[in-house]
Amino acid sequence: MATQQPLTNPSPLLIPCSYLTTEGNKTGSWRFLRPKYEEKTSPCSAACPAGEDIGRVEMLTAQGSFKEAWETILLENPFPGVCGRVCYHPCEQQCNRREFDEPVAIHILERFLADTASRYELKPSLQKLESKRQKIAVVGSGPSGLAAGYFLTLLGYQADVFEALPEPGGVLRWGIPLYRLPLSILNQEIAQIRELGVQIHCGKSISQELLRGGKSEYDAIFLGCGHSRSLPLKIPGEDLDGVKNGLQFLTKIRRGEVADLEGTAAVIGGGNTAVDTARSAARLGAKVILIYRRRRQDMPAFAEEVEMALEEGVELWELQAPVKIAAQDGDFVVTLRHMQVVEKNRQKRARIKPDSNKKKEIRVQHLFKAIGGEASEPWYDPPKKKRGMLRLSDCVLLHKSREPTLVYGGDLVADIKSVAHAVASGKQAAIALDILFNEGLDAVRPKLQTCLVGDGPSISLETYMSGPRSLRNHRVVRYHDLNTDYFQFAPMITQPRLLREERFQSFAEINLKIGASLAIREAERCFNCGLCNQCDNCQLFCPEIAVTRDNNPRGRHINYDYCKGCGLCVVECPRNAMILEEELLCDRS
Amino acid sequence: MQLDNLNPEHMCSGHVGCPGCGAAIAMRFVLKALGDKTMMVIPACCWSIIAGSYPQSALKIPVLHTAFETGGAAASGVRAAQDIKGDTETTVVTWAGDGGTFDIGFQALSGAVERNENFIYFCYDNEAYMNTGVQRSSSTPYGAWTTTTPGQHWKKLRKKNIVEVLVAHRIPYAATASIAFPEDLMAKVEKAKSMTGSRFIHIFSSCPTGWGMPSEMSIKIARMAVQTTIFPLYEVEDGLRYTINYTPKGYLVNEYFRLQGRFKHLTEEDLDSIQEMVDEDWNLLLRKAGISLETS
Repeated sequence: MATQQPLTNPSPLLIPCSYLTTEGNKTGSWRFLRPKYEEKTSPCSAACPAGEDIGRVEMLTAQGSFKEAWETILLENPFPGVCGRVCYHPCEQQCNRREFDEPVAIHILERFLADTASRYELKPSLQKLESKRQKIAVVGSGPSGLAAGYFLTLLGYQADVFEALPEPGGVLRWGIPLYRLPLSILNQEIAQIRELGVQIHCGKSISQELLRGGKSEYDAIFLGCGHSRSLPLKIPGEDLDGVKNGLQFLTKIRRGEVADLEGTAAVIGGGNTAVDTARSAARLGAKVILIYRRRRQDMPAFAEEVEMALEEGVELWELQAPVKIAAQDGDFVVTLRHMQVVEKNRQKRARIKPDSNKKKEIRVQHLFKAIGGEASEPWYDPPKKKRGMLRLSDCVLLHKSREPTLVYGGDLVADIKSVAHAVASGKQAAIALDILFNEGLDAVRPKLQTCLVGDGPSISLETYMSGPRSLRNHRVVRYHDLNTDYFQFAPMITQPRLLREERFQSFAEINLKIGASLAIREAERCFNCGLCNQCDNCQLFCPEIAVTRDNNPRGRHINYDYCKGCGLCVVECPRNAMILEEELLCDRS
Repeated sequence: MQLDNLNPEHMCSGHVGCPGCGAAIAMRFVLKALGDKTMMVIPACCWSIIAGSYPQSALKIPVLHTAFETGGAAASGVRAAQDIKGDTETTVVTWAGDGGTFDIGFQALSGAVERNENFIYFCYDNEAYMNTGVQRSSSTPYGAWTTTTPGQHWKKLRKKNIVEVLVAHRIPYAATASIAFPEDLMAKVEKAKSMTGSRFIHIFSSCPTGWGMPSEMSIKIARMAVQTTIFPLYEVEDGLRYTINYTPKGYLVNEYFRLQGRFKHLTEEDLDSIQEMVDEDWNLLLRKAGISLETS
């Protein structure tokens, strides 16, 4: 190499040399399909009676933005701490991840967020709309009443909640046992509702007069009085001395008025109150038999609660209908008739009839009736049919020209009696009243339709208030819409619980807390169906380099000057947050 | 997926690749990993067109467009010129299609790597002569329709295993990569860049136009090729040390074939025999990698 001389007189390069980029070629003109960012609805949020934006909540949780995640829940539900404990989480039933491996533990994460917020004493920064002149009375401070007050306040109204008992909370305080819902959680979330500006007046019963008075100071009244009177069994002996009522028994435990139970206790019923009564009695020392006239799968009680009751030693006798109760030496003898299934209906509870005349007797020391409830005053219930009445999915609106508008909500109108449905009822009532005041009765139904989550019936306050969520397509993303190549198998976390033996020692909460690292890992399992989580696949795989990052909230946009409409970004979006539309020739400028 | 997106682009929009072009995606990833201190030789192939006609270029690095058979030789010359100038920093690469690698440019490639020329040879493989109108190459897989293997005369010969040919030259580095696995692809480019001597990277680049499939399926198909072991991801150092980078989860080949028009004439029996060939090749690779069949 050392002998090589530099060329002194290099001959010129006689080859053509390009000096322009190809950016002058607007290859976007080739396009006949147009990719677009369009967020859709996740199935969990559509399944949530309260319409919580679950996909986004889990995204924020995975990013460690716990406060924002908690506030996202609060926009749709004032009770994340309560619902994170007592909700029957239908969201997890619809989770797309179920078809991949196991659903995301949405319920556990909701509770985690509420617990974290309470631990750090976080104050939510929720925007209230400007004050309006209308005043609304809310009768009953159960979950539906408090939710109605909460959402009305967010919408700018003054809400006065009236509660007959000395403390607010309704069934949350008096009906749900402490091992499912500790008092501190409830008190905290009610305090938060008060801080927002909801006035709660305890120890104030309301008479029917409030509903009539033409000179009422209220423009509307929300009735969320619940079902506090239990239904009769309609069998001889049910009113014998000592035959107790399940709901009242639970209330007495909360008041500390119940001593330990000895011997055997029978609970008649198949709803959540029956199961709560059975489990509470077991904690007080009784051997418990739960008697239900249909089968286990027909029980209206939430399956998980039944499961835990059985785990705790409660015996379930299915297809047994009590026909007579008799007193004998201080005990009760219950005569049970054996039932059989006549018709199996997948959607509804099985129909039953007596199985010939097979009967048996059982002798118990304690007997509880818990077959469901009804309103304790007939005027709590909505009238059958009237002019100006609007039956909505979660409440009934009765509009009268010279009197306050009445809204019946909560358990008074609910098919499924759950806290989440009560919240849905309060929310729907608040939004319906806002529409009524602003645009009149005829606008209520069509306007509510626009803020459905997916196909409904749950509705979103954020959508109603034209938040970012209102830009989403209502179409619900299903499993086959996702590109699951980007997801890895990971098992669902299991809820840590007190040991069976530990549960009997007190009414301490059974479900234990999880830590932040576990919560983040679980939230990362969420597919965020239909939502953009900034994974950047669209940008990464674009053959045209036509996806550009920018400062808009989405973080990127498509440069239609160059996009040839190949559709790769849409297919490679793991969560279906994009769509491919036919290009309209006239759109092209 | 959040790759290292800090790497700047060295390719621009407005190139004339077909919609959904796998070769354009491959170039984008490779240039991101190589950086701008790169000189590229492109023998005749799709990219001769995609880069734009004179006086335009879609690439922001110096490119020498050369004749079809000269990929290895031209890069050897560019490298020698850089060495004379004392520029050891610049990476010299060849970017050729499967025709310019497997067939027409084969002797120049074999000669260059036999001399262990200090360059990286990229073959983006779309399994036929695509820009001239889908003529079969020795990279076209068994069973495929092309304009030169039409109708009942579909290709009944196997695809040449080019990586093993290069491995037989005992070059420092030979690897396969796929546009559906960008992290793996860019890591391999960076690894190759850090080495000296002849390096070869074979990139599976789907072609919606030539394979008869919707443009939005480019990446999906490339991913399936890896998942089914039709195109396994692996690397070989010094012609000896095999590393398999992706362990497939046992997908069958059927769906991969059913999604592409070029295979639509194949019967179930044909697919069964193809499955056998794919399994045979995969087992051979496992043996070379020293992985016994029982544990794989």
